Amino acid sequence: MRTSVKKLATAVSTSIALMAAGQAAAEIQIGIAGPMTGPVAQYGDMQFSGARMAIEQINANGGVMGEELVAVEYDDVCDPKQAVTVANSLVNDGVRFVVGHLCSSSTQPASDIYEDEGILMVTPASTSPEITERGYELVFRTIGLDSMQGPVAGNYIASQNPERVAIVHDKQQYGEGIATAVRDTLKDQGVEVAMFEGITAGDKDFSSLVTKLKQADVDYVYYGGYHPELGLILRQARQADLDAKFMGPEGVGNKDINTIAGEAAEGLLVTLPPAFDKKAQNQELVKAFQDKGEDPSGPFVLTSYTAVQLIADGIEQAESTDPFEVAEALRSGTFQTPIGTVEYDQAGDMKSFEFVVYEWHSDGSKTPVN
Amino acid sequence: MQDLLYFSQQLINGLTIGSTYALIAIGYTMVYGIIGMINFAHGEIYMIGAYTALIAITGLASLGVAWLPVILIVALICAMLVSSSMGWAVERVAYRPVRGRHRLIPLISAIGMSIFLQNYVHLAQGSRNIGFPALIEGGVQFGASEGFQMSLSYMQITIFITTLICMTALSLFIARSKTGRACRAVSQDLGMANLLGIDTNRIISATFVIGAALAAVAGLLLGMYYGSVDPLFGFIAGLKAFTAAVLGGIGSIPGAMLGGLILGVAESMTSGYLSGEYKDVISFSLLILILLFKPTGLLGKPEVEKI
Repeated sequence: MRTSVKKLATAVSTSIALMAAGQAAAEIQIGIAGPMTGPVAQYGDMQFSGARMAIEQINANGGVMGEELVAVEYDDVCDPKQAVTVANSLVNDGVRFVVGHLCSSSTQPASDIYEDEGILMVTPASTSPEITERGYELVFRTIGLDSMQGPVAGNYIASQNPERVAIVHDKQQYGEGIATAVRDTLKDQGVEVAMFEGITAGDKDFSSLVTKLKQADVDYVYYGGYHPELGLILRQARQADLDAKFMGPEGVGNKDINTIAGEAAEGLLVTLPPAFDKKAQNQELVKAFQDKGEDPSGPFVLTSYTAVQLIADGIEQAESTDPFEVAEALRSGTFQTPIGTVEYDQAGDMKSFEFVVYEWHSDGSKTPVN
Repeated sequence: MQDLLYFSQQLINGLTIGSTYALIAIGYTMVYGIIGMINFAHGEIYMIGAYTALIAITGLASLGVAWLPVILIVALICAMLVSSSMGWAVERVAYRPVRGRHRLIPLISAIGMSIFLQNYVHLAQGSRNIGFPALIEGGVQFGASEGFQMSLSYMQITIFITTLICMTALSLFIARSKTGRACRAVSQDLGMANLLGIDTNRIISATFVIGAALAAVAGLLLGMYYGSVDPLFGFIAGLKAFTAAVLGGIGSIPGAMLGGLILGVAESMTSGYLSGEYKDVISFSLLILILLFKPTGLLGKPEVEKI
């Protein structure tokens, strides 16, 4: 009995050693960290689908410097606490490149750990300006900032000559940040902001808020936050006959809002990154997604694809897998990607990124406004 | 006039949400009244009720049943049955084996049960928000056509009426029926009731079943009223209902009703006149104040130390 236990132990330890050795040879691990579960898992799906596709295609074309990319996936549930746990386990797993995180409130705490541990991070979705404001060397994004998205929304609302505008947000980093940017733009344009108020994310009852909006007699409502709350606000507003136009950031623009709000989602305005999947140069890539039965039209699919591609391109240009050298290569180079030509400034933000206003429909489709 | 309409609208909003808090709070208060423990899994029972109702409604719709009363009644019965058996099973599995031990043990067991049920629904139904079909639409409007109009939706009326029926039925049941009398006896003195030939295990099970059934009613109503359910749906509602139960005096059924209404109205008035951001601050400050000045809650009786 004793010998058999010993044998087993030896066998197990040998196989663990072999596995570790196998991983060390000719592989570059790419961590993908985002919400696989939880209320905003819909966005996580976009992120994972885009990043997996990029890894698959790069490997099919011979990998990076002859080495294969391997995806290591982590679920942060879009929860800041969980994001920190994920970041730590990434460090333990020896991953040195990350595509993620998705929610700004997760990206921020995780990026502290990545910067300390020398891990390069490219977020395909976090738009909070604070993330790149801290002078970090290893933080990049393939998406614009709230400070770009807010003015687009604010200027659009101002161009419609509204009488009174209300701004509601979910008190989270992303929602409140963008709502503040919209308010500032509206003030500059001389539009009266009748109400600026926070709600609690996860709340279900918005009847008091809707009554208040009705009382304030607003004709535009801007909501900074995600779809679970806005979906309910839209629905409860419709039941209470509130006659106002709603607008939100890309955090509300996905099909889940239709299952919650139903008919009430018709006519919602959303600022989104331009539809990259409609670009002529991306049609081959779009077809590759469709062949796999996946939908490339989500706002973060191709930004995630680009994030992986940039890491790969950066490694090749730097001819090194050292994150600091790759970061240097990303800052100095110009890259052709599915989301257009990418150039980085010192902070890790793209030099140009455009947001477009879309009108959302109750069947989940969207049409560009003007 | 405008201000009065606005006030009444916020009052209606508050009473609607308050009456469902009350329905959930009954479950907390009855269990506490009888075995002196806090059933933290109760919020999850309510969430499961909402999910069951949604599944029943979707199922009936796919079968082609379109007559609203049938859909609602079938959904209600399904939700009550599933939630009640869940309430019964939870008591059997998690609470009965540890009953009579140190107070903390059943409490930990309840928290564990709550986490288990939440994650079970996470796995079985997915973690996303699922939309609830709007079955009862429309309502009546008050006030001039220009300016603020107060609206009372049929859904809100349904919530008031259903709550009223449930509360009356429960009060009659406790006051008049044999089981109700046994419930009161057990809550006064469990050991003595046992000696007098009351099957206390049966009564305790009945308490859990009744509480769970009322939570299921609330689950169906609130699911329809808000329009979506998710696995964390029960957590916040459970916390609020528990607050309502403590506010009204835990262990007292009229207290739970009153506590629920007060909490609902306080919340809606805060978001109506101050800001939605202070909603929870005000309701929990209210709780602290009441506990400071009246530790047993509004209608609670001081506990007499039995020697």
